[in-house]
Amino acid sequence: MIRAEVVVELNGKEVYRGESKSFVQNFGKILFAILNGTGGTPLSYKGSVSSAVVQKPDGYTATVHGEYYTTADAGATGGTTMGFKAGAGEDAWGILVGSGSDPVSPTQYNLSAKIPHGTDPGKLHYDVHTVTSSYSDTSSYVEIARSFINKSSQPVTVREVGLFARNRYQSSAGVEVDVIFMVARDVLPNPVTVNPLGSLLVRYRVVLTT
Amino acid sequence: MPQPLNPMKGFIEIEVRDREGRVIQRGRHEMKSFTNNFLKIIEGFFNAYGNYPLTYAGITKVTITTPDGSSKDAWTEYYTSSSGSPYYYGGGVAIATRAGGSIDSYGIVVGSGATPFNLNNYALATKIAHGTGAGQLNYDPVTVDDLGLDTSVSPPVYRIRLVRGFKNLTSSSITINEVGIIARNYWKIQSGTLNDITFLIARDVLSTSYTVPAGGSATVIVVIEVTMG
Repeated sequence: MIRAEVVVELNGKEVYRGESKSFVQNFGKILFAILNGTGGTPLSYKGSVSSAVVQKPDGYTATVHGEYYTTADAGATGGTTMGFKAGAGEDAWGILVGSGSDPVSPTQYNLSAKIPHGTDPGKLHYDVHTVTSSYSDTSSYVEIARSFINKSSQPVTVREVGLFARNRYQSSAGVEVDVIFMVARDVLPNPVTVNPLGSLLVRYRVVLTT
Repeated sequence: MPQPLNPMKGFIEIEVRDREGRVIQRGRHEMKSFTNNFLKIIEGFFNAYGNYPLTYAGITKVTITTPDGSSKDAWTEYYTSSSGSPYYYGGGVAIATRAGGSIDSYGIVVGSGATPFNLNNYALATKIAHGTGAGQLNYDPVTVDDLGLDTSVSPPVYRIRLVRGFKNLTSSSITINEVGIIARNYWKIQSGTLNDITFLIARDVLSTSYTVPAGGSATVIVVIEVTMG
């Protein structure tokens, strides 16, 4: 069976560990688009083979692709169905945190109140992501983690965490598809306050057991 | 102690008909056996960036085990080379399952083996091959349906359904004991196929054997349920 966990550490100490209960329907839609792919398209085929419509963080809908082929040109062409590994300072995808506490519902498409990247009061510095994994016959896991540092002079309170994916395909002529969408959101049972110079680590772990 | 939430589960339904089309056996089983190959694809997605410069040529990949037991790269993000000709098409798919008729290398597959499951399984114990020879079944195309969000249950679930029919065109009965899902990882460039591999992402040994009589058929329905918040 599969389980998903959210782990939150404050200044290196675990303050929350619980099941992630909150995939949202965007995740179901992209999973469908991937599984509905077929592979083996003719070499000259361009465009989408399998797609779905998701809701972006701004509430507008957009088409994402589980199988897509870019325009042929002389450049670097290709992409990904679902990328999560945003770099430092990128607060649009990957693991995001917020201060809102609205109850989770499956049709949500954004955090209640995202805490943006930055050093001003009310902001947190978004670090890079790290991915770790372990595999065996009976128990395996893969984990994505991100640190957030309070570089402001005021405490910042975190009440929600979310996982945002990026569906992006490009050729050297330009970006053909670029859609960011939330796939999971969890509200923490207790707020976590990050004091100035304090750090927060959020980990999403997917566990597979027999 | 409360049961842990299972954010991705499902069930398998099998219906067997005789040569006259009458239902002679039907059952439903919990689907619970995703493999390490599936988890590795999730790892590949976690490691994908999605914001490379337009000149980038490279990959995000994981190593999976194919049904013959060999290790191969499966890509979740790929950009072709930016130099030379012919010009390139990029793109592909990480875990396609919508296989066409007569293709038994991916999609829903069935077998006669009953070896217990473990996460490192990379093939069915004994796959029943496509064909009309003894011990073979004729594989229909796979259909994949987006059943959408169901809020009438608690917690709500999002369902995706895979269906495949199998016909017994031989003169003897054939027994199904295991059901698997094999995915296809396919990426290409204009000058050729860059990557085309298949690998097992789920396998369930059934608690009941299903016997498909000569001239009969079986329909296997796999419904994947993602538990929502």
